[in-house]
Amino acid sequence: MFQVIGGRSVQAARLLAPRSAVLVEAVRGRKSRSDPVAKSKEGRIKVPVSVDPVEMVVLKERYSEYKLIMRALRMEFKEGVLRKKYEEEMGSQAELRARQEEEEHRALMDWNNQENLRILKARIIRIQQEEEEAERKKMEAAIQREQEQQEFIRQKEEEILKLQEEAKNFVTLENLDQRIEEALDNPKNYNFAIDKEGKVVKRTVLQ
Amino acid sequence: MVHLSSHLLKKYHNGYVVIRLALAGHKQANRPFYRIVAAHNKRSRDGKYIEQLGSFDPLPNIYNEKLVGFNFDRIKYWIGCGAHLTKPVAKLLGLSGFFPLHPMTVTEAERRRAQAKLAETAAGTEDPQQEEQKQADV
Repeated sequence: MFQVIGGRSVQAARLLAPRSAVLVEAVRGRKSRSDPVAKSKEGRIKVPVSVDPVEMVVLKERYSEYKLIMRALRMEFKEGVLRKKYEEEMGSQAELRARQEEEEHRALMDWNNQENLRILKARIIRIQQEEEEAERKKMEAAIQREQEQQEFIRQKEEEILKLQEEAKNFVTLENLDQRIEEALDNPKNYNFAIDKEGKVVKRTVLQ
Repeated sequence: MVHLSSHLLKKYHNGYVVIRLALAGHKQANRPFYRIVAAHNKRSRDGKYIEQLGSFDPLPNIYNEKLVGFNFDRIKYWIGCGAHLTKPVAKLLGLSGFFPLHPMTVTEAERRRAQAKLAETAAGTEDPQQEEQKQADV
């Protein structure tokens, strides 16, 4: 009798201000089992419609005829459906269609294989080229590295030579006294004056 | 929720296909319109159906006709696959001529005719009585 609802009809049901906790919808036959009988229907005894025997006999006859015809029609239609299915699967058109489809399938598969071969060739060429590129790059890198190493070694050797040269001028424990004597004997004068025109004057007051 | 495919649905629920009327057009109140639909038995009236096979407009139009449409080809197919029919659909099909006339259509018509005749005879007996009274008065 009562139907719990949600959704669009909830809004409509809310307007009816139900007293029950659950929102229910007004359905035909809306009294539940525990609701009392309405005042206007208190003494009512529901009596089923009386059957007219003559009409009942006629009606039974009509029904039997009707059911017979319906059964026959149903069997006819079933036969029709089965025949259509049979023709669909094993009729004259079916073989033709099957053959056509097979031919189409074979043609498509061939075309597919051709495409695959072509792409395969292209791919092989591409891979070869890429390999060659990689080889070349590796060689170049190796050469570059070699060159850099050579450069490095050369620079280091240069530096060593320079140091060796400079080592001749170093002050060692043996030269110490000699050098001190020399330095004291030759005072170096770093002062100079310069003109706006760029004339340098090195003669200053010695001290 | 277990959602079954059609074959499993049939086996599990032991349901069958029915051709019945489903109400369409919820947005308009007091304007019913039915679709004649092939659906599983256990589905709700307006729920998911397998195929629509026609329509029925129960309100008469300006020429006082109630319009019905059927897709007889598909109806034949479904009946051949073992679909059941509900009473109103059977009645409509009977009236359309595709099926034999439903016995209840004939019986209803006879009853209505009997009622009409009773009312006529009652009116007829009243009229002569009234005429007699008027003549008596006059």
